[in-house]
Amino acid sequence: MTAVTVRMPRTRELSPRWEVFMLRLGAGLVLLGLWEGLVTWLSPSYITRPSGIARVFWEVVSNRSTPLTQLSGSFWFDVQTTLVAVFEGLAIGVTLGVIVGLAMGRLATVEWALKYYVGALFAMPVIAILPLMTLWFGYTSTARLWIVVIGAFLPVALNVYEGVRKLPVTYLEVARTYHARWWNVWFGIALPASLPYLLAGLRLAAGRALVAAVVAEYLLAIKGLGFFIRSDTQSFHQNQAMVAVIMLALIGIAINTTIDAATRHFLPWFRREGR
Amino acid sequence: MTSAAQDVAAAVAETGGARIQIEGLAMQFGELRVFEGIDLEVGRRECVSIVGPSGCGKTTLLRNIDGLLRPAEGVVRINGAPVTSPPKGVAVVFQMFGLFPWKTVFENVAYGLRMAGTSKEQIREKVPYYIELVGLNGFDKAYPYQLSGGMQQRTGLARALAVEPEVLLMDEPFASIDAQTREILQFELLRIWESRPTSMVFVTHSIEEAVLMGDRVVVLHGRPSSVREVIEVGLPRPRSRETLATDRFAEVREHVWSELMQEARQAERELQ
Amino acid sequence: MSVSFDRLRGPLIALLSLAAGAALWQYLGTTIPKTEFVGFTATISSLWDLITNGELFTALKESMEVFAIGLAISFVIGFFGGLLMARLPRLRIALEPYVAAFYAMPGVALIPFILALFGFLVKAKVIVVVLFGIWPILINTLEGARSVNPELLEVAKSYRSNERRLWLHVIIPYTLPYAMTGVRQSIARCLVGMIAAEFLLSSSGLGDLIIRNTERFQTGNVLATVLVIMILATILIGIGRALENYFARWRAGE
Repeated sequence: MTAVTVRMPRTRELSPRWEVFMLRLGAGLVLLGLWEGLVTWLSPSYITRPSGIARVFWEVVSNRSTPLTQLSGSFWFDVQTTLVAVFEGLAIGVTLGVIVGLAMGRLATVEWALKYYVGALFAMPVIAILPLMTLWFGYTSTARLWIVVIGAFLPVALNVYEGVRKLPVTYLEVARTYHARWWNVWFGIALPASLPYLLAGLRLAAGRALVAAVVAEYLLAIKGLGFFIRSDTQSFHQNQAMVAVIMLALIGIAINTTIDAATRHFLPWFRREGR
Repeated sequence: MTSAAQDVAAAVAETGGARIQIEGLAMQFGELRVFEGIDLEVGRRECVSIVGPSGCGKTTLLRNIDGLLRPAEGVVRINGAPVTSPPKGVAVVFQMFGLFPWKTVFENVAYGLRMAGTSKEQIREKVPYYIELVGLNGFDKAYPYQLSGGMQQRTGLARALAVEPEVLLMDEPFASIDAQTREILQFELLRIWESRPTSMVFVTHSIEEAVLMGDRVVVLHGRPSSVREVIEVGLPRPRSRETLATDRFAEVREHVWSELMQEARQAERELQ
Repeated sequence: MSVSFDRLRGPLIALLSLAAGAALWQYLGTTIPKTEFVGFTATISSLWDLITNGELFTALKESMEVFAIGLAISFVIGFFGGLLMARLPRLRIALEPYVAAFYAMPGVALIPFILALFGFLVKAKVIVVVLFGIWPILINTLEGARSVNPELLEVAKSYRSNERRLWLHVIIPYTLPYAMTGVRQSIARCLVGMIAAEFLLSSSGLGDLIIRNTERFQTGNVLATVLVIMILATILIGIGRALENYFARWRAGE
């Protein structure tokens, strides 16, 4: 269920590496060309296109405010703000998620008491709660923090829960035979054994946290990449806003890559059919 | 009889000397009655094999002995005290090895000791000894996924031996291992156990293995199962590959086989 | 573990927990100002009002329209795109990194641009939903098509199937279970896209209902709508899982 991660299947059976590179480069150029062509031909001048992005790229990235606009030149500040918000929310949400997930997996009472709440909240787009957050916390970064925390918490809790539930019975028999105490079982067995599920949940959590932060910034008009995009698109500076979008894409990819690399490095022992 | 066999016979003969006492044990899962009326004693320096067809509950019986499962009826006593949860001094070797994949061989072997509160220095002394005892020199930093099935089970064995148990419970320990390695491990286990005999209960579905390992073979079958017969093996120790070739071995093996086959034929007749 | 619970205790605890939750909700409604929170019964009565005055059904219809069309288009493009990419290895190699990038990127960031291109139309929202929902279907279908057991292909070839029949009778049925996993993942993402689009592009649907009521401090309506979305999402994802499981039965031999 929640633990399935979607990863691009491995490539290189037939083509040598340079051919792979050329194909991808070529495809990229074709896509850029199509974009440029279609937009130039069919749409107004403020619509973003590759040439436009290239033109403003340096000035955005160097934080310079430009004449004619009220752009504050705050690109990197906004990047930092969003990243900090995401990591803060992730830290809190993941920790809570692990604890609740462990509890749900190990204690039947907790499991039954919470599983419908957690399940329903997980199914729903978490940003639907955002307006509610504004009623409670106003248009502040606290509202953003809470929505990020909730967004991060849910997939982690559910995945850890599933991982603990799928604990091979033999591990528990070993624990009982050799007289492990409950915290040995929770943190010495259940947690490491569910680590693969935790990491899958982390991938989801990071993605959702990023989305939550951006939507919060956009809707609540608080400082960050979401607001950067909003104010720039509303003032017809789409090319500048696109730089932020590219940044977000890079952040998303970087997070996924890091988690995948961490999985490979720290879990060499993980084989799908654990004994 | 060799003096070792005499020891065993003497130990079993007196009830006070039996390490494990099983009285009137029965297990039930919902509607299904797995076994009933199990009475058995295992001496302090004796290996009892339990053999039977699949589903006869031999694995369940083992879990009753270790207190992992509560019996529906009857009681298991170890050193006279009734077993309600895993008692101290009992170690188990599991069919699926039960090694923690995130721990190294060293850490896995040390697990029982750690849980018992053994000090770090003592662990650092004892564990290498047991790793060597089971023939895994040099592999202490390896992870289970890097080891073959046989080596993983050696690790499981080392973990069990490291807590110096009075009772060793073997749950079809070689069932998941290829035939050649299984033979090697059987004789390894014999060597290790015979050098320091404790109570051992060896559950298996292999008749040959049951006769090879055990001083007595308990044949468990029926529906629900019960102890159909307890067969004296009477083979001298130490045992080796030559033992397999003796007439006595073949005799006992045939005896066990015919006991089990009776049940199979009966079952067939009942089906018709 | 829940195995030790007999069949009655578990659901009983769940029921008690839900009742306790409703009670807590009701209590909080009395202590927190109405502009921030209302109690359980007040929410239910708001819900009832929204149903009877038709606002809820209108919003639901508008949202579901966008969702359904968006999901359908996502499926068509995603499924056949995935098959195409499996069929043409060069194409797949070329596009793989871009697909992965789009999958990893928060699609919400592109909503303002789509708004600028297409205006406040239903069309714009559908495009947003497709943008969110197409990737899991594409990626999963691709993975499925590529993992077709070579033996299956041998069997099909030995019956002298020409390529078209090979695809129709072997590859597509084999790939459908994978595609359904993608659909399940896609449903969740499409819902996010739908709500995000309605928040940012506004003017119709459940998301808009929330925004409008938030602005007017009609907390009861806001909570009621969130409740509806929660139930709706649970149902839709439940359908997604059921679909996935139904098709997964074909994969028993893995």
